[in-house]
Amino acid sequence: MTNEGPPDDRLQPMTAPAGGPARRVVLPPHRQRAARPFRERAADWLRSNLFASWDRTLSTIVSFAILGGVIAFVIWFVISYADWNVITDNRRLLFIGSFPHGEEWRLWAGLSFVLAMVGAAYGMWSRLGPRDALFIVLGSAFAFFMILHDTSQAWAALWFGIGVVLLAAGYFICRLVPREEGRARRVATRTLTAVLALSVPVVFALLMAGPGGADTDQLSGYLLNLLLAPAGIVGGLIVGIPLALGRASSLKAISWTCTTYIEVVRGAPLIGWLFVALFILSDLIGGDLIVRTMVVLAVFTGAYMAEYIRGGLQALPRGQYEAGHAVGLPYWRTMQLIIMPQALRISIPPIVGQAIALWKDTALISIILPLRELVGSSRSAIAQGEFITARIEVYVFAAVMFWIVAFVMSRVSQRIEGSLGVGER
Amino acid sequence: MAADAGSPQPLAADVPLLYQRRVRRWIIQVIYLAITALVILYVVQALGEREYGFGFLSQPAGFDVGNQWLVDFDGTTSSRLTLFFVGVWSTIRVVLVVIALSTVLGVVMGVARLSPNWLLSKTAMLFVELFRNTPLYVQVVIWYAVGLFGLPTIENVVNVGNFLFLSNRGVAIPWPHEQGGLWGGVDWLVGVWVAVLLAGAAIALWVRARRQEQERDTGQVKYPNRVAVGIFAAIAFVSFFALGMPVYVDRPIVDGTNYVEGMAIRPEFAALTLGLTIYTGAFIAEIVRASIQALPRGQSEAANAIGLTGYQRLTLVILPQALRQMIPSVTNQYLNANKNSSIALGVSYFDLFFVANIISNKIGHAVEIFFMIIVTYTVLSLAISLVMNIVNSRVTSQDRDDGGDGVGLRERLMEALRSRTPMGEMQ
Repeated sequence: MTNEGPPDDRLQPMTAPAGGPARRVVLPPHRQRAARPFRERAADWLRSNLFASWDRTLSTIVSFAILGGVIAFVIWFVISYADWNVITDNRRLLFIGSFPHGEEWRLWAGLSFVLAMVGAAYGMWSRLGPRDALFIVLGSAFAFFMILHDTSQAWAALWFGIGVVLLAAGYFICRLVPREEGRARRVATRTLTAVLALSVPVVFALLMAGPGGADTDQLSGYLLNLLLAPAGIVGGLIVGIPLALGRASSLKAISWTCTTYIEVVRGAPLIGWLFVALFILSDLIGGDLIVRTMVVLAVFTGAYMAEYIRGGLQALPRGQYEAGHAVGLPYWRTMQLIIMPQALRISIPPIVGQAIALWKDTALISIILPLRELVGSSRSAIAQGEFITARIEVYVFAAVMFWIVAFVMSRVSQRIEGSLGVGER
Repeated sequence: MAADAGSPQPLAADVPLLYQRRVRRWIIQVIYLAITALVILYVVQALGEREYGFGFLSQPAGFDVGNQWLVDFDGTTSSRLTLFFVGVWSTIRVVLVVIALSTVLGVVMGVARLSPNWLLSKTAMLFVELFRNTPLYVQVVIWYAVGLFGLPTIENVVNVGNFLFLSNRGVAIPWPHEQGGLWGGVDWLVGVWVAVLLAGAAIALWVRARRQEQERDTGQVKYPNRVAVGIFAAIAFVSFFALGMPVYVDRPIVDGTNYVEGMAIRPEFAALTLGLTIYTGAFIAEIVRASIQALPRGQSEAANAIGLTGYQRLTLVILPQALRQMIPSVTNQYLNANKNSSIALGVSYFDLFFVANIISNKIGHAVEIFFMIIVTYTVLSLAISLVMNIVNSRVTSQDRDDGGDGVGLRERLMEALRSRTPMGEMQ
């Protein structure tokens, strides 16, 4: 009795108004719903969704109490308890840390470039609906104006304008590419993928190159999370694809070493590998701490990516390999033309999942390394005596900033999954 | 190799040596191994300037620990190895608690997520989306900050009916303690009682299995669960008094600025456990939801058709089947929880990584210590995998015993009907 659908009367044809002939008129479903008064429909919805039986009514009351309590608590916290001055006063510290003053145009230029890439990706693989467009424009407006509030607003406005123009330009240029598979689309897709992969070094160059550019130890705050995560993801793919092929290889020496690598890396937590970046890697590759951190993130993520890609490789029917062999393609061409495109497509959802995990893991960096990403900057903000009591506020703010990006990524992954599913059938 | 075996021998002889598949495979592997050896050589050479050896482990720790478990530890005399084991046990304690609690939380939330009740399902969705997409470390730090700065000081401790105390010193709850018993000063009586309890549990399980079997064979209602619980409770009750009450439950008391008696859960442990439980629980909830949704709709329709209640449908039809799908992914989450417990360092909880970091900061030896970290986490992961593999094989083989999925399900349904619904009430 507990799993009834909506009450049946909603599906019944409407009766004619009183006074007329008692004739039943069958309407299409959407007209039926519109024809009924709102009050009735609302009552139906409540009955079928919240109060269908006594146990469901009970669970409604319980969850209403919990949800109401939590919402009331959040409102009380945000409006009454919390002291948000710690955020507004430390905005610069939290978002861009010790980025050099007077060089903010580099951030804006980087942001505009990213917007162009976002537009191009939408144009190539999806469709930019008004909701997404609004979200992107509002989000980037927040980034352009709020983060750098203390510098010239006119410049921020100019760069924001450039960013939106680049977004639109990227989108519409890529819309020109024909939708159906063909040589033109293949070339365009490859070019865009290459540009996307290169955009990480491009953004780094925009921030650091030339006189006045930021030194590595000046990269901190939320900016550092936003730089390290994509570097780790791209690096992880670069490490992970050969590892996956190696593990699946029939050459014993190669598959055993790759398996060992993957299992050892997955054996220890990321914090352990950051420990390596701090204490051990300095003797091996030297270099800057940020560079070593990026290497560790790539090496760590690569092992996980390799496992997901290997899953994709195993999911392919053997016939695909044999077909490549039969038409006389050598190993690398088989992989490049036949196997990898399909395997990567299968493993995109878990790869995006790993990207989200890495994004969240960038919060771990400042536990052990003297790098001040958002959590580390939060600690610095609290350490100023003035805000010593505002610790919860700062960390809640950091949690929200992490949540936004992770949530957007998970939605993107759902959309990719959906579109891949359609493509397969 | 299959291609080699199929091709006629003369052809292989015609092919130049360098172009033969087998020769090529050897060449590639030799080159590859040579490169790997070079890399390893470089690593060894680059790290070769350090001093190595595990001698430092036997020196005194010189570090005091507040809260240890299962290890005799004394800051001035105990060795660093003992200190390390204090950390290992702390990690194990956190991971065990987290695995137990997050499984319950995850199953409840995952089922709630699929509830036909709109409000309940949205509440569960909010829970999952909120906690899955926030870094675990930030969550734990927030819980820790709430514990230290949101809760009152111990002078203004919140007292819930003398059972539960809340302050920024942590949470104090009642906890069983051993006592000599009415017959005076015999401290091994607790051990005896625990042994009796285990034996009672074994007897109860055996009776339950027998009664279930009888039910299946005869079709008579034998109440296996109720009888088993009754037997266990009777054994526990009688032996408790026969042994002169070897255990009493101790309520916590606030003495000055400390908790005495009862069990005090320190803020570090509480924050870490709470954060890990909620985070892992959110992931398990998603796994539970996905595995239930993967079941064919006909399963729950069939359960409805034979008149099972919602609770029976869930526990007898849906969850047992979803369990098989769930276990590999849930095992993965347990392994993640094990590794994620290393963020204890961020809230100064004394786990194995925290200990390792302290030792390394003091005396170096980073390579050896990292080796110990990897080995320990790997051993813990293997232990979890092993247990879960046993669970997995039990769960999957149960259905095989009944002779295939469909039959197993029908058997279980018939059994459910016989044992739970008296014939008169069936519609």
